[in-house]
Amino acid sequence: MLMQIEALLEHIEFLLIAGIVLVLAILALEHKDLVYAVFFFGIMASFVAGFFLLLEAPFVAGMQIAVYTGGISVLIIFGVLLLPIFHDTTRERFETIRKKRLGIVLSIFVIILSGSLVFLFTWPTEIPAVNVDLAQSLEGLAQWLWGNHGIYVQFIAIIILTSLIGSLAILKLEKAEHLNPESGVYGLATWDDDTSEKAKAGNKSEDTVPVIMAQDAEEEGT
Amino acid sequence: MIPLSWYLALAFMLIGLGAYGMMVKRNLIRIIISAEIMGNGVMIALVAFSLYLDTFTFTGQGLVILIISVAAAHTALAMVLMLMYHRRYQTIDLGVPVVQEEISDE
Repeated sequence: MLMQIEALLEHIEFLLIAGIVLVLAILALEHKDLVYAVFFFGIMASFVAGFFLLLEAPFVAGMQIAVYTGGISVLIIFGVLLLPIFHDTTRERFETIRKKRLGIVLSIFVIILSGSLVFLFTWPTEIPAVNVDLAQSLEGLAQWLWGNHGIYVQFIAIIILTSLIGSLAILKLEKAEHLNPESGVYGLATWDDDTSEKAKAGNKSEDTVPVIMAQDAEEEGT
Repeated sequence: MIPLSWYLALAFMLIGLGAYGMMVKRNLIRIIISAEIMGNGVMIALVAFSLYLDTFTFTGQGLVILIISVAAAHTALAMVLMLMYHRRYQTIDLGVPVVQEEISDE
């Protein structure tokens, strides 16, 4: 009897969380105010963590809340706040209504195709009896990550570092283009560009080098 | 016990919603959010598979942890690219026709 009640409550919990997640996902896509849409996305990510708790993955649930709700949604909100205010509202424009219909038809096709995978095949209905203890799952997960698949963690670290450096480089690249947009690699003037431009203007490059060296010597002397 | 097909149905619904957002929406931030929704669906499917299959391994959970890490990185990069797009074209709406800058040197 108690087992049946527990199973019933588990089903109710799943259906409740699934409904909330789907509604929040639709709101994140359809709400007119972009800041509210990002908030709905963050709340949706929190509820997805509930599924990970149902699936006996508490560490993944904690990481989901920390990274998605606490990191990614805040990052997107900062991105929205850096934009002018008129971007807060949705301004989807389609040249013809046919393009929008084509997008909707294609997305419905994706849903039907993926839904057919669920209903055409027979999937397990219960968790196998031999299973991992929930209290030991973190230790096993750490063993999986660092013991057997440590190289993947290293690769992920390199990917994150590369994206961080790439993001900074892209922002600096734009700034450098504004500073000196016409010469040099990445908008930065180099010694060769300086001498070649002067040579094009009629000055001999051989003469420019001693002049600059003489100026440097004078500055050091003073 | 909740059947695996329920989790998969939910995961595929999220993937379909994300695909809808990526194909129909033209706002760059909404496209990024759509990609994240699709990622959430994939993560639910991976963790459910790892728990319900006969031989339990931590492959699903480990992959999800790696996916979450990469998702944070690619979202940061996507936001930077979005800001760059806005600086250059003064819009983040892909539906607005963008006038190419004429190259004055040529």
